[in-house]
Amino acid sequence: MTERERQALVEEAAGAWRPGGADQVRPHPAWADLEPAGRLEVYEITRVLRQLEAALDPQGLSTTARAVLSRIAG
Amino acid sequence: MPESAELAGEDLLLDGIRAGDQMIFARWVSLAEARLRDSLRPFAARVDVEAVLQESLVRVWQVTPRFVPDGRPDSLLRLAIRVARNLAISELRRNRMDLVDPEFLERALADAEKLWSGPDHGSDPILRQAIEECRRTLPRKPADAIQARIDSGGTEPDAVLADRLGMRRNTFLQNITRARRLLAACLRRRGIDVASELA
Repeated sequence: MTERERQALVEEAAGAWRPGGADQVRPHPAWADLEPAGRLEVYEITRVLRQLEAALDPQGLSTTARAVLSRIAG
Repeated sequence: MPESAELAGEDLLLDGIRAGDQMIFARWVSLAEARLRDSLRPFAARVDVEAVLQESLVRVWQVTPRFVPDGRPDSLLRLAIRVARNLAISELRRNRMDLVDPEFLERALADAEKLWSGPDHGSDPILRQAIEECRRTLPRKPADAIQARIDSGGTEPDAVLADRLGMRRNTFLQNITRARRLLAACLRRRGIDVASELA
């Protein structure tokens, strides 16, 4: 895997979308392809990215919160 | 928006959540999310924290009508942390990670306990204003990419968002990277150190 491909996986896994539909939320395929250091990078980027998203959202909700609300709304 | 679930009066929010009010649940999530995510940090190299976090919040919503607070502060947040930890451990076992290091779980659980009372940065109005002002300085394509993720609210994969913007998936992801790095640089110029993780 090139550094560019690895960076794309990190960036993709740092998004809030996860597979699962009506079932249990499952790991992102991009996350599954990363090594432990890449997964930690995803975590650190995500925790700050969610703050940014919440600040830019009209209701102050992160994309994680919105994904959860979408799931419980069915 | 209040600084923490405790300041907001979690009992009041609990009444609304128990009554099935999704907007009140959304308000509680916005207060609890950062601390819940922090509690999962010890698992971050081994389980997909984002997936565990989302599933935990869905389950908290499902069990809250039957939840009885214990009278101590942040009782629902503490329940959420327990649910999240148990899910993370289930994931470890599903992936046979429990065979890797017998001391790992004890350390992870102890770390999660210590992080219960961590700060909630998400509702800082000065930070929010700085982020909004920095967003206005982004070039169009990075701004479009990050806005597409916000608009979709985690309900669509990046490939779909990229297609909608007429970008290839890799170009879309590069624009997300560029957006967060430019935001980081802008925030750093304002003396805001939250940006270091974004750079």
